[in-house]
Amino acid sequence: MKVDRRSFLGLGLGAVAGIAISPVGAKLTDDLSIWTQNWPWTPVPPDGEITYDHSVCSLCPGTCGITVRKIDGRPVKVEGRDTYPVNNGGACLHGIAGLQYLYDPSRVRTPLRKINTRFVPVSWEDALSLVADRLGELREKQTPEALACITDTDQGSVAGLFKHFMAAFGSPNLLTMPDLESWLAKAAETLHGSGHTLGFDLDHADFVLSFGAGLIDGWGSPVACFKAVAGRKQRDAKLIQFEPRLSNTAAAADKWIPVNPGTEADLALAMCGVLLRENLFEPEFADGFKGGFMRFNAMVQEKYPVEAVADLTGVPAVIIEETAIAFAKAKMPVALPGKGRGDGAQSLKEFAAVHTLNCLVGNINKKGGTFVRQNTDYLDFPYPVQDAVARKGMAAPRQAASVQELTARINQSGESELKVLMVYNANPCYSLNDPSSIRTAFEKIPFKVCFSSFMDETAMVSDVILPISTFLERMEDVPSKAGFAGSVVGLAKPVVNPVFDTRSPGDAVIQIARALGGTLSQSFGWRNYEACLEEVAAGIWDDLIRQGYAVLLNPFPAEPVTTDFAFLAENPETIQPAGEYEFTLIPIDNIGITTTVPASSPFAIKTVSDRIIKGQDMFVEINPQTASGLKDGGFVTLTTPAGSARVRVDFNDGIMPGVIGMVKGLGHRFDNKYVAGKGVNVNDLISPVIEPGSGTDAAFGVKAGISRA
Amino acid sequence: MDAALIPEGVKRCSFPKFMLGIAIVGAVLLWGVYAMLLCWFKGLNQTNMNDYYGFALWIWADLAVIAIGGGAFFTGLLKYIFKIDELKNIINFAVIIGFICYSSALLILAIDIGQPLRGWFIFWHANVHSMLTEVAFCLSCYFAVLTIEFIPNILENRQLNKVPFFHHLAHNMHGTMAIFAATGAFLSFFHQGSLGGVAGVLYGRPFAFREGLLIWPWTFFLFTWSAAAFGPCFTLLVTRITEAVAGKKLVKDNVVHLLAKISGWMIVTYIIAKIIDTIYWATVTAPGLGFKMSHFYTNNGFYGYWILIAEIIVCGVIPGLLLINKTTRENPTLRLVAITLGVIGVCLNRWVMVLQVVAVPVMPFDTWALYIPSWQEVATTILPVAYGIILIAVTYRYLPVFPQEVELNQPTAQES
Amino acid sequence: MIQDKIAHKFGMVIDLDKCTGCGSCTVSCMSENNVPFKEDESDKKDSITWMRVYRLTNGKPFPDAQIVYLPRPCQHCGGTGDHGHSPCVSVCPATATDYGYDTGIVSQIYTRCFGCRYCMVSCPYHARYFNWWDPVWPEGMEKYLSPNVSPRMRGVVEKCSFCYHRYQLAREKAYVDGVDEIAEAAYQTACTTACPAAAITFGDLNNPAHKVHQIVKPDPHPDPMNPGVVGKSRNPKVFRLLERLGTNPKVYYMSEREWVRKLGDSYLEGEWEKVKNIYGSASQ
Ligand code: SF4
Ligand code: SF4
Ligand code: SF4
Ligand code: SF4
Ligand code: SF4
Repeated sequence: MKVDRRSFLGLGLGAVAGIAISPVGAKLTDDLSIWTQNWPWTPVPPDGEITYDHSVCSLCPGTCGITVRKIDGRPVKVEGRDTYPVNNGGACLHGIAGLQYLYDPSRVRTPLRKINTRFVPVSWEDALSLVADRLGELREKQTPEALACITDTDQGSVAGLFKHFMAAFGSPNLLTMPDLESWLAKAAETLHGSGHTLGFDLDHADFVLSFGAGLIDGWGSPVACFKAVAGRKQRDAKLIQFEPRLSNTAAAADKWIPVNPGTEADLALAMCGVLLRENLFEPEFADGFKGGFMRFNAMVQEKYPVEAVADLTGVPAVIIEETAIAFAKAKMPVALPGKGRGDGAQSLKEFAAVHTLNCLVGNINKKGGTFVRQNTDYLDFPYPVQDAVARKGMAAPRQAASVQELTARINQSGESELKVLMVYNANPCYSLNDPSSIRTAFEKIPFKVCFSSFMDETAMVSDVILPISTFLERMEDVPSKAGFAGSVVGLAKPVVNPVFDTRSPGDAVIQIARALGGTLSQSFGWRNYEACLEEVAAGIWDDLIRQGYAVLLNPFPAEPVTTDFAFLAENPETIQPAGEYEFTLIPIDNIGITTTVPASSPFAIKTVSDRIIKGQDMFVEINPQTASGLKDGGFVTLTTPAGSARVRVDFNDGIMPGVIGMVKGLGHRFDNKYVAGKGVNVNDLISPVIEPGSGTDAAFGVKAGISRA
Repeated sequence: MDAALIPEGVKRCSFPKFMLGIAIVGAVLLWGVYAMLLCWFKGLNQTNMNDYYGFALWIWADLAVIAIGGGAFFTGLLKYIFKIDELKNIINFAVIIGFICYSSALLILAIDIGQPLRGWFIFWHANVHSMLTEVAFCLSCYFAVLTIEFIPNILENRQLNKVPFFHHLAHNMHGTMAIFAATGAFLSFFHQGSLGGVAGVLYGRPFAFREGLLIWPWTFFLFTWSAAAFGPCFTLLVTRITEAVAGKKLVKDNVVHLLAKISGWMIVTYIIAKIIDTIYWATVTAPGLGFKMSHFYTNNGFYGYWILIAEIIVCGVIPGLLLINKTTRENPTLRLVAITLGVIGVCLNRWVMVLQVVAVPVMPFDTWALYIPSWQEVATTILPVAYGIILIAVTYRYLPVFPQEVELNQPTAQES
Repeated sequence: MIQDKIAHKFGMVIDLDKCTGCGSCTVSCMSENNVPFKEDESDKKDSITWMRVYRLTNGKPFPDAQIVYLPRPCQHCGGTGDHGHSPCVSVCPATATDYGYDTGIVSQIYTRCFGCRYCMVSCPYHARYFNWWDPVWPEGMEKYLSPNVSPRMRGVVEKCSFCYHRYQLAREKAYVDGVDEIAEAAYQTACTTACPAAAITFGDLNNPAHKVHQIVKPDPHPDPMNPGVVGKSRNPKVFRLLERLGTNPKVYYMSEREWVRKLGDSYLEGEWEKVKNIYGSASQ
């Protein structure tokens, strides 16, 4: 048969028609849709046996018990542990998002060493010997005090190991970051003598007078506080919130009383004056008053008359009187210091003044009251073995009382007296006021070692980074922190093997000490951190292993308490915000955004309002009454003595006129597209002001000008 | 060059000139195709749609082209069922326009859905309660009908018609066209209506929701009626544009006047119904759900009462009146104004019934959502326009679309 | 198979006076249900958040301003007359979202959905989210995904499922344990269990023994003023969002504060004053 054009065409058409009516088309259509239902790039999580592990979250001072759901050993979900005596079920969003930290893009995956501004991976052995060599030089030169160490907290065995290390090494320069714990301890020490701290029985108190404490904005043990606030209805308890803005806590309170920022101490002292004047203080507890009570009384009557304080604070005199009297007449009143989360820059005067209210009404160490208690030392570290070098070093004066004081000192001196700095689980180059001055100071320290899980701002300026396992990958004792009524130690257990080449911080410290040899090696005789923990926590080890936690104090402390008014009787100066501008800029703590270590997770950032972050830009809150010439949502330049920033304005009826609120915890500058590069770090705009009494930065805010950008 | 393909007795521009025009429009078409491929391969993140704007420019374009493509079914209905014979002089073109509109609608839908390869689930797993199911079935069936209606015209091409089989097929198809026209009208009634139903059944959206008859909300009937009313406007408008581009008359005035008159009366009746519907909705339906009429037209940067006035008065009442009045209707300029306004009006109605529906806040604490389409959406929406122009150009050049063209353009007759 | 003959009607009541706006529910839901995230989630109109916490204000100037937080999962609407024709279910052309008459739960079948988004247009609560992007997890992070909820592909709609997989697991467990009723505590959603403030109460609205029933006290009869509305709460402090539309949500809200309850629905001038003390205040 001759194939001509026509038959070819016919054949072709026939073939097309044939295929069209054959099942090929239908099959192909079906296959294509099945393919879309199984796209290879959409993950299919493997199934398996479900198990649950109990552990403790140490992402914040909350120390909640958690339960981790696992599938064939693979953790898939973090939830609050129902039977844990801190949170009793429920967890905050950071804890629930905890698994994201395991695989966080900014995790440090292997030890790193900086060579000419670039980090190169090194082995753990090399990293440890690098650190040990630099530390060894200090001891050879007989200047062990040229080592400083900054940790996030002084609680728990890991902090204990750092302390042990510093003592054996011979340096007194061990500093912790300012957290609520440290401020409460300072206040307790000032009023009740050293070794004390404060806790608040918020679950039972029937009248909570909060001086800006963000009970549902992250203060204290957040989940426990959420429960206490939410459970008020059933207990018929009242929450009165003094605060310059309508925070979530203020909104949830029975009454929100706006107060000019930074005048909370004056307000508390005026209220003390009212109680003393009206004889509304509790005589029995007052038996323990000593050290200048009469002077204090005279001072508040003279310096803090209600009318004058009303002008200063913006709280009407009648409200001051009424609130003070209602507080005193309540059955179980508690006054809470600590603005926002209660960490960072606070004021000792304010903490002491507010706690004095508690002392006056005498609801101390009673149900529904304030607990003044001895630090619960459940850890029994052996004495470090010190050689002559160490003893000499320890006798040297401590360089500073706080990180900020330390860095200010370094910046003032020509050459840093400190030669080596170790930073554990803290990010001072981000989370303290004026972090650029901190970075400048750090640059002057020749050798910095960062024990960190994440490549954050502080890790970035370090010379060696020792990658630390996250809370889900390591064992650790996690004691509940000050502010919380009870005293519970939880045992965090690794729920998964380290995802990267990381180690427990305790192991890293022990290994450095071992590498240093001599008395340091002798001081750190433990096989590893877990062996150390078992030994130093031997008293509660059984409980920790059996139920995952140990309850140290139950139900509340009983020892007699004395109160010393000497500090306040001198009427220490109230810290004023720096600058001459029209507005007062205050940082805002938002429960969805972390302000210390670690930075927020992608899930947490996802929950943040589009009135806080929009794209790369952040908003500041301003009352429309004092926003003339500005447009809601418009761009402005915010200027303070410390710097300026381009932000957008959010008209907010819930902030005092004349005040600008700016969320804390944004503006990170490290490599994590989900979290960093969004907004501005409010700390960049605030210059620290060291409070003489505490030696710590107390700049709660700063004066700011605003102009259309 | 292509003279053998051009219908006998008519003049067409030179082939290079024709190809130049096609190339220019073709470039726009390719731009649209590029955007379409982006949407298919990268996903709908290429658009500016979002979770508030699940329906946006594309669905509007769909509804709009189907509404203005309504000239095909309505003219067919008039010609084949109501036997208004003059309309045979414009029916071919009405069908081509309809074919373009409906094929465009299907193409846009294929871009619009998030999982184009599963698009057939709408047939396979059909939910009979969904207006969109009704749309999908009727739309596809009617598109088949339009294709069938289009085929005889294609077969009338000078070369194809030489094939005896095609010649006879075309002839016989013409004979049976009444059946298809009736089927088409029936299907159109339902899919035009169910497109109206798409919005009207949304009882969670007080701006769109309408009471109705049996399972059909009033928008069902309003959409059908408005498509029948304004579709012919579009047919006339495209005819007018084609005449302007070709530089000659293609359809006799009496035919145009007749279609314009019918359209005018349809518009007037439609707009009366629409006004009643609007009043009832604004005074009974919406207030019954707690909404004042002003809620839908204030507190935002775009949707004001102007849009309601523009749609109903400027682009509804006015074209209706202009077209039912003989003097204004037969004045070419005013007629052009009227049919242009009419086309705008129906498109505006479809816009409002898609985009304003989702722009209005419903939860008391929600806010207005406004949206500007991305270039990819605009390009893919222009794509069918370019495709339509090309198809019209090709069919006009090679097919005897306008039966009166030869008669109207006798060179000698005009010269003498 | 367990003889789960009695039709359940799972629902929740959220105490807005307890809710702190903390977002634990939102994150718990995202973690439980393999919800993806992307670099910029600040455009809330394309940010997949099955449980979204809205911030509501009373609109008053300083110092009378007030805030309340309103968590919004899918309302699992029963539709007009509570017949199961939810706004979204009734419009989905491919039956990719369906009403469970045995549970009252509105399902979403990702592999069936072809992404037309009609359901999103129909939902006045904005409870539905479209996958505009392929879900991508940072390297390694896909290891935390749960096998109980399949990750969704680009181009389909997703929403709160009342953690349906937890219901399935509870049902399986009941079967294994040989009990024929699922205990109240055995099926609780991930947002409920995560809430530190215990603001969410979840359970079977049909079961008088369940707390949610006791708080809500749903009226089984249609609202005489608005016959499409069924299941109004007989607790004067409890309301539903947009109840007047007749969507018949199974998520109820509770507040002592009048301005909060008023924000649950739209009222013409003067209407609220007339209805505010009537239970299920949307009557008119
Ligand atoms: S409150 Fe703190 S400890 Fe508790 S879950 Fe959240 S981050 Fe973890
Ligand atoms: S809330 Fe929206 S998605 Fe959920 S059932 Fe109702 S209409 Fe459907
Ligand atoms: S987007 Fe999916 S679920 Fe929604 S209506 Fe379309 S097919 Fe149904
Ligand atoms: S019920 Fe489950 S799916 Fe729904 S919002 Fe709560 S956690 Fe998410
Ligand atoms: S977890 Fe509870 S308190 Fe927090 S936002 Fe959700 S419902 Fe409110």
